[in-house]
Amino acid sequence: MRVLAVTRLELRRLIVRPLAWVLAALTLAQLAWRFTLLLGGFLAGQIKLAALPGGPGYTDLVGVPMLSSILTGGILPFGVVELALVIVPLLTMSSLAGERSNGTLPLWFAAGLPASRIVLGKYLALMLWLVLWLALALAMPLSLSHGVTLDWGKLAAASLGALLTLAALAAIGVASSAYASHASIAATIALTVGLVLAGMNIAVQKAGATSGVFNWLALSGHLEDMLRGLVSLSDVAWFLLVIVVALALATQRLAAEKERG
Amino acid sequence: MTAPSTVLQLDHITRHRAGRAAVANLSLTLDSGQVLGLLGVNGAGKSTTLAMIAGALTPDSGAIKLNGKDFLEHPELAQRGIGWLPERAPLWPELTVLEHLDAHGRLRGLGGAALAKARQRIVERLELGSLSRRLAGVLSQGQRQRLGLACALLHEPSLLVLDEPANALDPVQVAALRAVIREQAAAGTAVILSTHLLAEVTAACDRVAILHEGQLRYDGPITDDDHKMLEQTFFDIALRGGDGNDKARAA
Repeated sequence: MRVLAVTRLELRRLIVRPLAWVLAALTLAQLAWRFTLLLGGFLAGQIKLAALPGGPGYTDLVGVPMLSSILTGGILPFGVVELALVIVPLLTMSSLAGERSNGTLPLWFAAGLPASRIVLGKYLALMLWLVLWLALALAMPLSLSHGVTLDWGKLAAASLGALLTLAALAAIGVASSAYASHASIAATIALTVGLVLAGMNIAVQKAGATSGVFNWLALSGHLEDMLRGLVSLSDVAWFLLVIVVALALATQRLAAEKERG
Repeated sequence: MTAPSTVLQLDHITRHRAGRAAVANLSLTLDSGQVLGLLGVNGAGKSTTLAMIAGALTPDSGAIKLNGKDFLEHPELAQRGIGWLPERAPLWPELTVLEHLDAHGRLRGLGGAALAKARQRIVERLELGSLSRRLAGVLSQGQRQRLGLACALLHEPSLLVLDEPANALDPVQVAALRAVIREQAAAGTAVILSTHLLAEVTAACDRVAILHEGQLRYDGPITDDDHKMLEQTFFDIALRGGDGNDKARAA
């Protein structure tokens, strides 16, 4: 129950701060721009595509690219995943580092809350915000679902991939916030870790090295299959592993802080 | 009237900070309805002691018992049993006064009608009604302190821990704070407050403990007439490192 008390408080703090609203407004406006461009491209090529048996449809050309540009290339304007690499660190940076600079962190300890519940409560609040944000982004392609043929399975798999990416980035952000003394440092650490995870396999490939391990470590390697509509247990496990490790590190850091004072 | 029972028991607690013992081998007990003033110069270990009692800091060794139960083995005891006001009331600047009370209430296990009732009681008692919708970030120092006290008292704890609560308060606010402390003690709450002001101790406390360099140098009862004795004892300990109990006996 008290995890929910932490979640409720964190969500309230998120809602009353302008940062979350500004980020939501800017990113949704940018996603709307991406949606109109993707839709324009789809409509322009519709006749040509209709002639191709098994050719790409609305889901491949609008629905999935709204979530990420990994498969389609052409990064700008950003998809949900590319935007998340930037906005999740900004959202998570204050979760624990802000409490520390505010002097409110000891209050959580004094309420008899174990570090794990503090971390989990805060993480759940951030996830609620991110799920709502993802739902609003998905509402754009889904708004035309009555007039087009949607591949629901592929879109669901891609959405799951995007959700797991958001969850992993949020966990990394919370862990960074637990270790950093200031929110800005937490944001920088989370942004760097996110970018390295997202692009390490590409960087290694470009350097001409074999990238087996890096492919496994890289976020994009696991997201790509889901964007193609393929959900494998190993990919889901990779995301869950990142989430669990990041939250465990945050918990351990917080518990050590109570010990150390 | 019920007989006083031991609410807090510190058993040889030690805590090191920055390579030195901030609190060394400290033992004391506190009964219900008792107001203990923890006196000492800056750096004597008062805040560290209170943070450990409040559950915000873990001692390196020793035991803390709350109502007879080991508080270190059961940190959840702090949830309902302890109310803590740190030296600078820690608040979330973006939340209103009422939101603070709600958040603290929920964290302390209150909810629904019980929370609403407790909130109303404390808002009325500490005259926070006119501030209820104001953001904590724009409150004056005195108002912040009052809100911090409200958060500490909301769940009716059996032990109230106040760290230099009179800091930055004007004389009227100090008098109001003393009245609240006396009320709490009369209702059976054990109160421990730290201060470096002798007048604060003689006015609000019925017992005093003097800490110096992390060690308990004096522990005894005090009345309004004991100001001179307390002053002699305190300066003997703080300036000459004397044994407070000897000095007090002589006085």
